[in-house]
Amino acid sequence: MEAPDSASSEASPKIAVKVDLSVTGTESLMKACYWFSVDFVCEIHKTEETKAEVVLRPRKPASPAELASRREDFISSVLDFALRERIEAKTASIRDLLMAKALSEAGILEDEPQGVFGDAVEESKTDGMFKILGNA
Amino acid sequence: MARTFFPFENLTPSPASFSLLPFRFTRLNGKELIVNEAGEFLIAPNGTVQQLADQRLDTGSELYRDLKAKQIVFDEASSPLLDQLATKIRSKFDQINGGTKLHIFVVTLRCEHSCHYCQVSRQTTSRGQYDMSTGTADRAIELMMESPSKEITLELQGGEPLLAFDTIQYIVPRAKEAAKANGKHLSIVVTSNLACVTDEILTYFRDEGVKASTSLDGPAFLHNKNRPRPGNNSYEKAIEGIERARAILGYQNVAALMTTTAASLGHVKEIIDEYVRREFHSVFLRPISPYGFAIKTKQSTGYEMDRFLDFYKEGLAHILEINRKGYRLSETYTKIVLTKILTPHGTGYVDLQSPAGEALNVLVYNYNGDVFASDESRMLAEMNDLTFRLGNVHRDSRRSIFLSEPALKMFQVACTQSLAGCSDCAFQAYCGADPVYHHATQGDMYGHRPTSGFCKRNMEVIRHLFSLIQENDPETMRILWSWIAGQTEKREPSLCA
Amino acid sequence: MRLTTSGIARNFAGGIVGVVTKSDLLDHRREDRIRLLGPSTTVVGDSLIGYRCVLSEGKLDPAPTIPYIHRIRETDHLGDGDIVALEAKTGLVRSLYRPYERHHHLFATARCNSNCLMCSQPPKDHDDVVALTERNRELIRLINPHPNYLTITGGEPTLLGDNLFALMGQLRDEMAATEIHILTNGRTFAWPEYARRFAQVGHPNISLGVPLYSDFAASHDYVVQARGAFDQTVTGLHQAARNGIRVEIRVVLHKLTIPRLTKLAEYIYRNLTFAEHVALMGLEYIGYTPRNINELWIDPYDYQDQLEETVEYLAIRGMNVSIYNHQLCILRPKLWKYAKKSISDWKNLYFQECENCSAQESCGGFFQWATKKHSDHIHAL
Repeated sequence: MEAPDSASSEASPKIAVKVDLSVTGTESLMKACYWFSVDFVCEIHKTEETKAEVVLRPRKPASPAELASRREDFISSVLDFALRERIEAKTASIRDLLMAKALSEAGILEDEPQGVFGDAVEESKTDGMFKILGNA
Repeated sequence: MARTFFPFENLTPSPASFSLLPFRFTRLNGKELIVNEAGEFLIAPNGTVQQLADQRLDTGSELYRDLKAKQIVFDEASSPLLDQLATKIRSKFDQINGGTKLHIFVVTLRCEHSCHYCQVSRQTTSRGQYDMSTGTADRAIELMMESPSKEITLELQGGEPLLAFDTIQYIVPRAKEAAKANGKHLSIVVTSNLACVTDEILTYFRDEGVKASTSLDGPAFLHNKNRPRPGNNSYEKAIEGIERARAILGYQNVAALMTTTAASLGHVKEIIDEYVRREFHSVFLRPISPYGFAIKTKQSTGYEMDRFLDFYKEGLAHILEINRKGYRLSETYTKIVLTKILTPHGTGYVDLQSPAGEALNVLVYNYNGDVFASDESRMLAEMNDLTFRLGNVHRDSRRSIFLSEPALKMFQVACTQSLAGCSDCAFQAYCGADPVYHHATQGDMYGHRPTSGFCKRNMEVIRHLFSLIQENDPETMRILWSWIAGQTEKREPSLCA
Repeated sequence: MRLTTSGIARNFAGGIVGVVTKSDLLDHRREDRIRLLGPSTTVVGDSLIGYRCVLSEGKLDPAPTIPYIHRIRETDHLGDGDIVALEAKTGLVRSLYRPYERHHHLFATARCNSNCLMCSQPPKDHDDVVALTERNRELIRLINPHPNYLTITGGEPTLLGDNLFALMGQLRDEMAATEIHILTNGRTFAWPEYARRFAQVGHPNISLGVPLYSDFAASHDYVVQARGAFDQTVTGLHQAARNGIRVEIRVVLHKLTIPRLTKLAEYIYRNLTFAEHVALMGLEYIGYTPRNINELWIDPYDYQDQLEETVEYLAIRGMNVSIYNHQLCILRPKLWKYAKKSISDWKNLYFQECENCSAQESCGGFFQWATKKHSDHIHAL
């Protein structure tokens, strides 16, 4: 994301952030705006295929210092939500599996025991108690 | 046959890569709080989450070992132990098991108090239209027994339930008989202002094993201000009632709850000191109920919630100090939230569950047979809002109650896992959903998290408690654990039904 | 206290198990008895008929017709009521049970599917299950009086398969009031069918003592020298708990387990909440330990911080915790209430420093082999 000037040339103060959508995605912008909507009116303008500008207008008067600080918070928030998107994408299917296991009956969705058994005597039997592999 | 020993690098070499297990995170006092799907957490250095997302972390580091032990990452060197993680997740949902455990019977709406925060009482003391009939009581007991749970709590409420003592005397033996016939363990508690309690009534309760829960909002000036009654002596009556009840029922069978009002804010230490003076060992710093104020005055709850949070933090600090000086006093809300954060167990506290506790964990049977999803739902009905009236004992079975339109609408928005603002919240495992609250304060069951008083309160309380956890002062932690460990028992992992 | 001795065995093959008697018994009472002859007893050939076996330090001449072991090195450790196992091939006389002892063990097998760096009973890959089970069956039958506790040890007892269930069944039928504790690595319980069958034996009074050495799989696997052991043990513990089998977790304290000890406690608390008890145990300088001592040794005095933190961690969470095999002069006083006198009778002794110690009565003392390696900070209190 670029770091443009936070001072506005218009009469009403606002926060403006230019974002690279290939870095942030749109979900993270929406989520950050969701939380900031308490204190700001949020507008997202798509400027190019992969670029957008987010404008946050404070609902109550705010000093430039406050706005600068909140701007940083906003950027932080967007980046954190973008991180969450990435993590969600990587873990969605295993999460579904986990929840299915958690909420299903015993034994139905459970994994087989893994690993080697490791008893040499049992290993040498043709009809041993367990399937055995050696410890390499 | 001589065996050889394998060096560490041969037996379990550090894996080249790793994979992620589901987790949520937030920033906490300069660090990152990472929480797995079972509510286990790790406070990690800044930048850890970025490294996890990039899958670029030194698998030989101590931090990596911590992350792996907490089931936030896994690798090919060993099993991800998904079944064990699933078991831990399951334990957190234990309260769903068995369905509704708390059944509130509103035996009458009559009351001689006119507490500011109560929406439901009627001033007439003559019997009749605002009392639960025997027919309604019978049906309510039948419905209560339809709940699969082996442990059932019957709470007798009102108005002032003691004004309908004969109705209570009708209900108690029949409920006990029904519980026995259905193989259930029944606890009974009566919530009363104790102003008109007599020895006869208390003796009855003692003989029937009924416990008492009453209101104590603080010292006299505050309690009486909140709870007007003829003679303006609610406090004196409450204290007298508590003493008598303790004498007859036994100290441990009499509990007190406080209700926080605007008048209470600013007096938290005095309220707590009152509880100590009255020899209580737990106090519940409950937030201001939004139902009265917000609905009547349509005020935003933001400012009030900020003031409540100050009230809570100051109160908790005062309570910890009291404990340090040797008097054992727990704060109930803190205990509940810490149980969710620090232990493997969930809690049965109705207001902080996902899926929400309404109907799933509590049902209210009104004097006229109407069945509500929670006490607050009943209060809304008194103001002509029937959104959460699920049915009536005379028309419905448990099944039709749970399949009613109001119930289904509510269930759709009852899980934090799928609500905006909650679904990726780091504190999800420690929080809950409350559709009734959001409907009452925001006009929308779904809830708007950024302006939600419920969200604000819980997030701030949870953050505050994590600060204490991070500080890790040994004496503070010992005190907090004495509250937690007092209530949780060791349990077996769930054998599925 | 001596456990084994040997002599020259004659007139039998395989093994014999019986109860020692130092005095002569009437015919009808000799059936499972082993007659221990004193130095001055004269032997009359036929008069020994009916005993399972005869033992003697001196040479038996004329030789008895019944099984005997003579020219035994020493017999002064054997007493009336002792149960012994005799081996024809080696002439070994092994004490299995002494009625006056506090701690009793049943040795199931020397086989093990782990190979812990500090194993006090190094495993042998020889199939001794059938022979030992036979021996143990007889032992159980003969034990008198029934002890309060009996520990089944090895090696790894679950390698007995059905034979372990048979022993448990016998214990259930013949001494149900005796509390049985099985020391196992728990790995076999990872197989749900095994855990189920174990529970089905229905012994009313049984629990497992399962070691866990780290919250980090690779570290545990390294200590037990078996890849995948951590996974199997944790899975096994869960399967055991699901089947209502009581479990206790044991941790041997040494240089490899101390660094993450409190984190292990946290792991146990969150993942193995059902554990009845956590035992934190001092290192035994026997078996494999001397060989691996450089990796393992840390003076117990030097890990008291971690020990205190871990004990406190578990205690405030309501978990039962005990400290075994530590001397009171090494432990901080606030930990004394967790220290148990845990050393088996035949293993313990006290040092010279202990002679004037005010806490000697309450202290568990040392293992015999502690003379070779022990803390530098032993002192009288």
